[in-house]
Amino acid sequence: MNLLKKAENMALKQISSNKCFEGFQKVFEHDSVELKCKMRFGIYLPPKAEIGKCPVLYWLSGLTCTEQNFITKSGFHQAASEHGLIVVAPDTSPRGCNIEGEDESWDFGTGAGFYVDATEEPWKTNYRMYSYIKDELPKLIKANFPADSERMSIFGHSMGGHGALILALKNPGKYKSVSAFAPICNPVQCPWGKKAFGGYLGSDLTQWEAYDATHLVKSYPDSHLDILIDQGKDDQFLSAGQLLPDNFIAACTERKIPVVFRLQQGYDHSYFFIATFVNDHIRHHAKYLNA
Amino acid sequence: MESEFLLSSDTDALGPVTDPSASIMVPESSGYEPEGFTFYHMDLYESKERLEIFPDEPVGRGNGDLGETSKESTEPGEDFCSSDPNPYDLEKEVDELAKLYGLDDDTEIEQELLRGTKAMAGILQSKETSSYNKEAVAAESYAPESSSPVNSAQPQNHTQSPEEQSSSPVNGAQLQNHTQSPEEQSSSPVNGTQPHNHTQSPEEQSSSPVNGAQPQNHMQSPEEQTLPGEDSQDESQHLPNTTAADELLNQACSKEELRSSGEQDDQSIQPNSEEEDADIYCATCKFPIRAFDKLFGAHKDHEVTQLANAVTSAKEEIHKSMCKLEEQITQMENFASHLEEIFSTVEENFGRQEQNFEMHYDEVMQTLAQRYEEKVEALGEEKKQKLEALYGQLVSCGENLDICKELMETIQEVYKDKEKADFIEAAVPVVDRLGEFLKKDIDLELSALPDFGDRVIDFADIQQLMDSINTMSAPSAPVINPQAPNSATGTSVRICWGLFSDDTVEFYQLYYKQVSDDTPSEEQAELMLKVKETYCTVMNLVPNTQYEFWVSALNAAGISPVSERAVYVTAPSPPILKRKESRSCENAALVCWESGNMNPVDSYTVELSKLINGENGDIITESIVGIPNCEALIQLQPGQSYLISVRAVNMGGPSERSEPISIHTTGTYFYLNEDTAHPLLSVLEDGLTIACSEIESLECDLPFRDNGFTRCIAILGNMIPFQGKHYWEVEVDENMEYRVGVAFENTHRHGYLGANNSSWCMRHIVTPARHKYEFLHSGTTPDIRITVPPKRIGILLDYESWKLSFFNLDIAQHLYTFEGPFQHYVHPCFSLEKPGKLRIRNGIAMPTSITLL
Repeated sequence: MNLLKKAENMALKQISSNKCFEGFQKVFEHDSVELKCKMRFGIYLPPKAEIGKCPVLYWLSGLTCTEQNFITKSGFHQAASEHGLIVVAPDTSPRGCNIEGEDESWDFGTGAGFYVDATEEPWKTNYRMYSYIKDELPKLIKANFPADSERMSIFGHSMGGHGALILALKNPGKYKSVSAFAPICNPVQCPWGKKAFGGYLGSDLTQWEAYDATHLVKSYPDSHLDILIDQGKDDQFLSAGQLLPDNFIAACTERKIPVVFRLQQGYDHSYFFIATFVNDHIRHHAKYLNA
Repeated sequence: MESEFLLSSDTDALGPVTDPSASIMVPESSGYEPEGFTFYHMDLYESKERLEIFPDEPVGRGNGDLGETSKESTEPGEDFCSSDPNPYDLEKEVDELAKLYGLDDDTEIEQELLRGTKAMAGILQSKETSSYNKEAVAAESYAPESSSPVNSAQPQNHTQSPEEQSSSPVNGAQLQNHTQSPEEQSSSPVNGTQPHNHTQSPEEQSSSPVNGAQPQNHMQSPEEQTLPGEDSQDESQHLPNTTAADELLNQACSKEELRSSGEQDDQSIQPNSEEEDADIYCATCKFPIRAFDKLFGAHKDHEVTQLANAVTSAKEEIHKSMCKLEEQITQMENFASHLEEIFSTVEENFGRQEQNFEMHYDEVMQTLAQRYEEKVEALGEEKKQKLEALYGQLVSCGENLDICKELMETIQEVYKDKEKADFIEAAVPVVDRLGEFLKKDIDLELSALPDFGDRVIDFADIQQLMDSINTMSAPSAPVINPQAPNSATGTSVRICWGLFSDDTVEFYQLYYKQVSDDTPSEEQAELMLKVKETYCTVMNLVPNTQYEFWVSALNAAGISPVSERAVYVTAPSPPILKRKESRSCENAALVCWESGNMNPVDSYTVELSKLINGENGDIITESIVGIPNCEALIQLQPGQSYLISVRAVNMGGPSERSEPISIHTTGTYFYLNEDTAHPLLSVLEDGLTIACSEIESLECDLPFRDNGFTRCIAILGNMIPFQGKHYWEVEVDENMEYRVGVAFENTHRHGYLGANNSSWCMRHIVTPARHKYEFLHSGTTPDIRITVPPKRIGILLDYESWKLSFFNLDIAQHLYTFEGPFQHYVHPCFSLEKPGKLRIRNGIAMPTSITLL
């Protein structure tokens, strides 16, 4: 009975499929065990996936986003097609869980899972995005697509950038490389982070630090992680002190964690900024995934 | 035997030369040899047709006897001498036929007849031979046996062919043979031509039996063998027979052997075919035996081998002999063709000489005839003159006589007159006339002598003409050839000239002197060489220099005028490759050299040797010719090592090779151009480490170079101008401040690297807060923070995608990429902004982590 249920849960429902740069951009829906709700994710299958296993690059989107934003706005497909990467873009939080207050604000609850496993009620049942991204989604991808589970990397934008950094830093060796667009580098120090972590994790600051990239760097065991960060110089959230990349860079410099941080003149926080540099990031990951 | 064999082949060797058909047949006949058995080459000069025609021939002519006799002759088998009656039987027949055809003694036919007889006897002989073959094979060890027919076959062809060439074919001669042979064979003492025959072809007779009989010598009766040594006429009757045997041996044997070639082998190996289980070979007895015999029989203590092994080794031996024979055949064929050449040359030369003689003698004859006519004419003239003179004298004499007579009569008349007065009257005029007449002298001298003048006939010019037939005149001026390409080395030239074909030249005098613009040509020493040939290699000259050559021919009669002057030039000196200035990348190398010659040369040739495991430096794998300048960009294959050398080339030819340089097409190799260095920057001994000991200095004190940087303590590298990817590395101390990147060759020397649009560089400076990295072009940089200060920086220049990328090599981290395009080729540039060192590594392969980008 249990097995049967699990099998059912693994079942995917294709929502859409569009040919794109000789590959296919598809959207699937499945019943998430971790999040206990229906979850959608976008997956780009490059033409190479038809003849063999391909490495997988996970994209974590930022606040308010669904699986649609990245696949429709970033224009990553050509580079992914050329480098033969499967790109998986999951949603940013559980949806339709009918938790009180989940839709109250744009920076908490729905669309703002912050890639943590919540420990506080009423969130802790569904808001397990960290485990979902770390375990359930890769298993699902491996089971249903020609994915090489040995080769995966992760990147993201804003809150997703934070998610990418903490997933990479908390799981040394799991991801070949990591990169981020305007990531929330030090959530425990910024308003968004304080609000989210307070809500999901309670008031224990040590719990928070376990999901904070800048803190995680300090205990990261080795330096075999090449981090690329692009940051728009005219990003309103940079000046608002939500992203705090300097703290992260300082920590990395101290710990000799290799980071190339590019402060891009004139760019803001939008997907226009992402689209400009997404090829650099795909190439950055491809270098390690195809090595 | 051996010496005779040689002799015979020598004397008769001219034969095939004159007989092209014979030599042509060689390949043809060998074409249908059974494979591997070359010793059937005795067919060499026999055409297949003849092989076929021959057996029909006697039958076709209705000569049944021939068939009979040959049958008879085979019956006695082993003793050829016992078949002596056969020719005599034949003779009877032939005698009759001779009468029938009414043929007479004739030396010419005689000779053909002799051949025909030979041919006839040959049939008999050959039939025997073939039957002997089998037995001989059985009797003797097969190795020498198999080789001997070959030896005989070879020269025999040569002895045979002159006959063929000069006379009608064998079958044609055969007819005459039947008719004529009696005279020759039976009545040798009577027939005067018979001895003549023998004397005519002594070589043939003395030698050819030896050759021809060779296969038989092994097996034939002793009498047969002694024949060549004896001189008696009786014996010589056999001689033609045996000689003829050679001719026909081919035909008969080849047929026989073609048929039995397979058998023969078997037979020779298994002579006792009834002992079917002979399985080993006794080396002592040279005999296959049964294994049983080895154990118990007579071969008990003998050395034995497996029969198969024995067969194999025997076959090998045969094969060796065959090879040797093939060699010999080739040699002989070559010799034959050589002889043919000489033959035609002799023919030609003598023909020319004949013409020459004819011409000269004609001339002499004409001259003589002319002289004769002249003389005869002169003689006639003289005769006429003399006769006329004598006649005139005779006439005048007669006239005088008449006058005398008339006077006498007149006087007598006067005497008759008795009257004194009348007498006186009449006498006075008479006396007057008489006195007057007598006063005249009567010329009784002969006006012409009866004999003619003693004229000396002058034969001097004739003599000269006659002499000119054999003596030559002084040669005319030779014609000197213009310089042939590649006829010179650095110190020598080869000069060629020609003479007029009629001239006889004993030797030439070759003069030469150096052509120089500086010194007047009169002052240049003129040198002379005596040369026998129409060419000369003049040594000890100066490289890449023009010399004037002229030549005159000499013989006993004198010296010719000198030829025109020809200018030859010596090959240049080898260029000198600039080792330090050569640069390369994965796919090309740029090498530069100094000419090494004072005067300009025509072009240069670059020669490449691709090294395989560091060897093969001697083998030129590629050469590039016609390079006008002192540098060349050479396309190469990546990841290889090459030795590159260069030659200078002019009209005279190429120089010696320069000292080679080695080029490795691993990565990009460039050198630092010290002309561009800032005075405070020094290049260390390895040529790739730059150092700076102090930054602050009074600028006016500095010895700035013309092309050097003046503000930025920088230096440019000289990189190969070649598309594709170029990669190099820089090693720096973590706290060193530097700029590294690329710049156009003409980047501003007074500015800082990266501060203008002609340079691109990564800059590192240490601020109190952090390591600051800038990626500068036109004075601007993106804002980039790098958490791990690189100590080894990889720089990748990719012309194809117009990118210049920087990497932290230790962690394979991509730092930054400039996107071009670069309008021109760029060069690596380096500068130091703090005292310290910076080490450059180049000529290295790109790390794989970088190639992925």
